[in-house]
Amino acid sequence: MMSMESPTEETTGRSEPIITVRNLQTAFFTDKEVIRAVDGVDFDIRPSETVGIVGESGSGKSVTARSIMGLVESPGRVLNGSSIRFQHTETVREFARRFPGRTVDLGALESEYDPAELFAHNAIDATPEAFGYDDASEATLTDFVGTGYGEALGLEADDCVFVTEGSTDEPRDGFVEITRLSGKPLRAMRGGRIAMVFQDPLTSLNPVYTVGNQIKEALRLHQGLSGNEATREAVDLLEAVGIPDARRRVAEYPHQFSGGMRQRAVIAMALACDPEVLICDEPTTALDVTIQAQILDLLEDLQAERDLAIMFITHDMGVIANVAHRVNVMYAGEIVETADVEPLFADPKHPYTRGLLASIPGRQSGDRLQTIEGNVPTPNEPATYCRFAPRCPEAFADCTEVHPVSLPVNDDVDDHTAACLLYPEDRSTPAAVERHADLDDSISEAGYDDGRTGGEDR
Amino acid sequence: MTMTFIIIRMGPIDPVSAIIGPEGGAAQRSQIESRLGLNDPLWEQYTSFMWNLITFNLGQSWVIQPGRGVYSLLGTYAPRTLWLGFWSVLIALFVGIPLGFYAGLNPNTTGDYFASFGGIVWRSMPNFWLAVMMLAVLRQSERFFFGLDWHTFGVEIGSLVGQPPLDFFGVTGWTTIGLLSIPSGFYFSGTTLAASIKQVLPAAIVLGSASMGSEMRIGRTAVLETINSNYVETAKAKGLSNRIIVWKHVFRNALIPLVPIITNEAFVLIGGSVIVEVVFSINGLGYLFFQAAVQGDLPLVGSLMFIFVLLIVGMNIFQDFLYTILDPRVGYER
Repeated sequence: MMSMESPTEETTGRSEPIITVRNLQTAFFTDKEVIRAVDGVDFDIRPSETVGIVGESGSGKSVTARSIMGLVESPGRVLNGSSIRFQHTETVREFARRFPGRTVDLGALESEYDPAELFAHNAIDATPEAFGYDDASEATLTDFVGTGYGEALGLEADDCVFVTEGSTDEPRDGFVEITRLSGKPLRAMRGGRIAMVFQDPLTSLNPVYTVGNQIKEALRLHQGLSGNEATREAVDLLEAVGIPDARRRVAEYPHQFSGGMRQRAVIAMALACDPEVLICDEPTTALDVTIQAQILDLLEDLQAERDLAIMFITHDMGVIANVAHRVNVMYAGEIVETADVEPLFADPKHPYTRGLLASIPGRQSGDRLQTIEGNVPTPNEPATYCRFAPRCPEAFADCTEVHPVSLPVNDDVDDHTAACLLYPEDRSTPAAVERHADLDDSISEAGYDDGRTGGEDR
Repeated sequence: MTMTFIIIRMGPIDPVSAIIGPEGGAAQRSQIESRLGLNDPLWEQYTSFMWNLITFNLGQSWVIQPGRGVYSLLGTYAPRTLWLGFWSVLIALFVGIPLGFYAGLNPNTTGDYFASFGGIVWRSMPNFWLAVMMLAVLRQSERFFFGLDWHTFGVEIGSLVGQPPLDFFGVTGWTTIGLLSIPSGFYFSGTTLAASIKQVLPAAIVLGSASMGSEMRIGRTAVLETINSNYVETAKAKGLSNRIIVWKHVFRNALIPLVPIITNEAFVLIGGSVIVEVVFSINGLGYLFFQAAVQGDLPLVGSLMFIFVLLIVGMNIFQDFLYTILDPRVGYER
């Protein structure tokens, strides 16, 4: 399931994405089965934009976030073929300076290898279609190094900084491949470049250290501040997230904070190192509605102030409508629909999105609350059919036969895609089914048989 | 303390017959009874017993070493038990807890299984059996350890059993400055210290085995619980290194449930263990207390009981104090 948006993204007039997630597959290997918690997910996050990820519990939202943070733990791992590129020139410069041994000049590599011929390489079991191309000649080296096939190109196992323009000493452009990060650069990325706010503010702070201590810890780590300077910075941060009397509060323990204040403190901690990207994993789920609104306002203000790119995970459609610019709807490890927030809410295409919107209280016509019958299935086998079909009111015979891929919902738009056999809607259904079947067949099942883990020792 | 009095004075134990032995006559008997004040009304005996305890007038032994003061007896017997208890607690602390933390940090690995299984085995071996087995193996150590003889290994010790020599450290002279006496001369013998440690080590291992096992198990659980908590995840997301996460965020939180276990086991330090002391012939407090109790030596039993109670209360206060250091949620205010 590849989106078709990658070649066309420049036409949308947005800024360049800071995080590009391509074909992200994260699986948990248990004794009994392999659970494909995230199964081929593509999306972009752009600076000062909020990307929402919605779905029921168990649809793979949090695992997606953890994969980006490199927090997937054994028995789970990010599979070969997955790519999460962090494209931020300043970061590439800093990383190239700090980790010269792990920096690679892609330009130099390009002269050695021809991407189109690499598909024939023994160690590479990908097909051009898996990268979203119709023809091998369109592929670039970036696709290979980013997706776990770097070793076939003679890269060291821990190379993770790639320079596309300029040299390794003087990079002008490039990216950091998050799936290849480990050790020091991984920790520099976490917190320093991408920060995360977790679901439950009541337990995300260590009860035995003061709030100030925990904020200063991050400041010391990424900005080298200590002593009074760090304390001052911590007080400023607490003030920035709207905690009154911050000077006194900085020396207090988490149990002396209320729930909403703790979440503010956690956000302050996440912002301590001035990250480029903030991942919020259901940050308001444990809070009551008024506090929730305050926290959402706070995030909006912070985004405007600091040009933050925010990835916002929630199961609350109301919250998503409030905060997100772009929405990805996840179901059983796959993104089933992607669109800007207005078109998604005004004209949801995928039956699952419609079901989600219909189950918001106050939105339905009858007396009873509409729900989607059944539960999210555990994705423990490769998808060869539509995973939503058993619960789908519009399912037809082909839904159990053909696995839908993400396609634009009609020929007029390219930034609204849905993974459903009913689309593109301007084709007849049999034609659409055929198109989905064609695209799906060509996508390899690379990565499951062997592979670099990149997850275990993080 | 009242219970001690009731059991000793009103139970079937008769200190007088223990003193005079089977051949004593009735006259001798009544003479001893009146000397010990056993003919006084029971309430009078009780009040004077309690009053003496509260004023720390611990009196003299009746039966075990008649006429010898309890303080002097304590001075002889207590250091042996303290020495034994010190090493057994040390072994439990510095073997049990690190093993438990290791197992908790590497769950479901071979090392974890090995440590956990070992913990259960240590925990379930009864002291009396383990003590006897330990002696049996050490006595024939050449046969089991490829010619390594425990008796002569390192420092030579004459016998496996017996009191450890505690005279490795002593004060030889005192100077007086104003009201304070300050020791001016010391002597220290490394060889005697080594012999002393070697002598007490088998007994300490046996005595510490149970606590070692339980500390290991609880340490493992505590670490596992902490390591899966949200704040550790937050710490990881901050980009902290594993070392800082373990030492700063995991260690301190995992110690909290271990505090009561450790302080409970510190009672071993003073209470000693009758069985281990008997098997290893260490005449310590546990042995003394047992002898005094079966022979109805009321002042000695009462005094020992009183001291144990004071120490237990003190230890509990110390435990609560430790909590306030480790866990800021527990405090004096409010």
